[in-house]
Amino acid sequence: MDRERRKLLIPLVGPAFVFYTVLFIIPSLAAIWISFHKWAGAGPMEFVGFKNYVRIAGDELFRHSFVNTLKLLFVVGIIIFVVAFALTLVLRDMWGKGAVRSIIFFPHLVNALVYGALAGFIFNPNGLVNKILEVFGIDAPPAWLATDNIFMLIMATLVLTMTGYYTTILMAGVDRIPPSLFEDCALAGANAWQRLRYVILPLTWDVFGTCAVLWTITSVKIFEVVWLFGGAATEGGPPIQTWTVAVYTFVTAFGGTSIPAYGMASAASIISLLLVLVLVVLLRRLMRREALEF
Amino acid sequence: MSNVARKLVPVLLTGAMLALAACSGGGDTPAEPAPPAENGEPAALPEKPESISYWSMWNEGETQQKVIAQAVKAWEEETGIKVDVEWQGRGVVQKLTPALNTNKVPDLVDAAYNKIAPILVTTGQAGSLQGAYDTEIDGKKVSELIPEKYLSGNTQLTLEDGTPWMLPYSISSEGVWFDAATHPDWSSAPPETWDDFITVLDELKTSDQAPLAIDGDIGGYNSAWFSSLMIGENGPGSVDNLITSEDGSAWDAPEVLEIAQRVESLASGGYFIPGYNASKFPAQQEAWGSGKAAMLFSGSWIPAETSTYVKDGFEFDSFPLPTNSEKKYARAEFVGYVTPAKAKNIEWASNLAASVLSIDIQNAYGTEAKSLPVRLDAEVSPELQSVVDHLEAADGIYAAFDGAIYPGYTDKVLFPINNDLVLGKISGEEFVAKMKAATVDYWKNQ
Repeated sequence: MDRERRKLLIPLVGPAFVFYTVLFIIPSLAAIWISFHKWAGAGPMEFVGFKNYVRIAGDELFRHSFVNTLKLLFVVGIIIFVVAFALTLVLRDMWGKGAVRSIIFFPHLVNALVYGALAGFIFNPNGLVNKILEVFGIDAPPAWLATDNIFMLIMATLVLTMTGYYTTILMAGVDRIPPSLFEDCALAGANAWQRLRYVILPLTWDVFGTCAVLWTITSVKIFEVVWLFGGAATEGGPPIQTWTVAVYTFVTAFGGTSIPAYGMASAASIISLLLVLVLVVLLRRLMRREALEF
Repeated sequence: MSNVARKLVPVLLTGAMLALAACSGGGDTPAEPAPPAENGEPAALPEKPESISYWSMWNEGETQQKVIAQAVKAWEEETGIKVDVEWQGRGVVQKLTPALNTNKVPDLVDAAYNKIAPILVTTGQAGSLQGAYDTEIDGKKVSELIPEKYLSGNTQLTLEDGTPWMLPYSISSEGVWFDAATHPDWSSAPPETWDDFITVLDELKTSDQAPLAIDGDIGGYNSAWFSSLMIGENGPGSVDNLITSEDGSAWDAPEVLEIAQRVESLASGGYFIPGYNASKFPAQQEAWGSGKAAMLFSGSWIPAETSTYVKDGFEFDSFPLPTNSEKKYARAEFVGYVTPAKAKNIEWASNLAASVLSIDIQNAYGTEAKSLPVRLDAEVSPELQSVVDHLEAADGIYAAFDGAIYPGYTDKVLFPINNDLVLGKISGEEFVAKMKAATVDYWKNQ
């Protein structure tokens, strides 16, 4: 049997391994190689050692972008999961739960491009929100799209689009829990918090762990919603107040009207890769529990 | 199982490393540029290839694309050479960069100067278009068809050794745009000095129109105020002088502060349309088109870009940004042809490029595509006439930010600080101090 399996290894794993190597491993190695150079994307490469990393570490704009990425990861992440768990309590046995699940999942189906494009219609000074507020007599609404406010709107948009997605995954875990346990809870007079604390959380811990890893990876790569919210339609990117590491990397490599700095952009992307690696390893350790049989 | 895996991994990794080595072969020195043709003679053309390849910055269906397609068709019929055109759109530059690391490069590419120069000239990948400049079109050498002030301006169309690397066929300029149906007096007697301009803006404040529309979320548009005023008063090169001031001392000059304070006064004086600091492009441009604001300081592309949504009866006209300087300068940014040094059919590609400067194509570009042709003797649509008049009368030309392409400077230094100035968050003095510090910091890190 073992020999049979060994024979199958190359034909079955080989193609995937080749694709993976060509599409992911080589580009990653190339990025590490490029990050030690000064390079405009074509022509001669100048070896500069760790200079790109030193420059990035000293760049206030990169540090600011890094903090924004961490805000998306932790602030948005915590809100998403708090809301998602709250929803799992309600959604398990509410009337019309199937329809509600579809509705909260729907924002995730819509491309982030749409939210970026819609931001103008909704939040412009004479946009939808202000028109509605006017009906209620509010004629001095906040400057929604002011450079200092856009990041808050982006965070809110991400909560809106991602919560339904993670709720759906968590609900799949909750649905696996035998109903008898919830009946026990009811008999014991457990309140919602106790149900969450003693039944749902322990029994969906592995699902939650996977979701947390997924969110970590997703959040570090967030780009298009930031790019579009900030009106990067023509000259210049979105306002720096909203930059994430992904946006910083893109602007550095494809600044548009300046000499591309592929070395620095690669260094920035390697730093995000390291961030993801460290966080995922930490998360896996933190979330490690004995698998519960039920 | 692990034995097999152990055997598999080194084999695949070796392959991976080889592929990586092949990928990073970007250090190839480009082929020597073709020797320039002898003076006065058109470049000798080699044997006709079956086809040449051309990547264009226009998308299929755009008015400019239609005119260029006409030119390509006419050239194909004349020479019998097929042109494989790929209408790539504005992403052409991003697509060209990786291609430059291979031997499969297009023979001809068109792009805006400030987008293509950073990746072609600075990487030593630009081929010579001397053949195009030496070609005779309409009885004249192409080099004589391009206005002298364009060739001698600060925008370098030639490499350090004098080889021309770009052949412009169109330019973008700018102006203060308005509706001549509402403000006919500005067509005949536009404000000429900065004080005149402020007087007109003050009068407008009492009307039901906001004086100036601006989409405050576009860093490039916001920065055009400082850049064009600075160059308008102090001549082409004055902004580059500021950017390249490694010790920042150039920022201490009183004229720099004066320009910064002019921009500050536009924000603090309430001349910009309400809400400009919290809207998304093109909201304010549209507000201008519907008559909510009187003026819009923007590019020569405005009539083509906004014609679909301006109010009925709108008549496009513009005047140059008023300055106190006796000498007058006009913004002229080139759109034109380049050829990678590795291209196989540079001579025939140059020949095609030159044909776009024929008067028929240039006229069509000015009237049908409603864009500025590079030839000043070509016809343009009436809404662009005032821009052409300014270009003809100008003592010199300039590009936005003096064509600065220093890595990341505009996106990471100039735009963020200038946005704060235009959005009324900092004063002119703070702007100068911040720009000085950021410029010193920028060069320290290069």
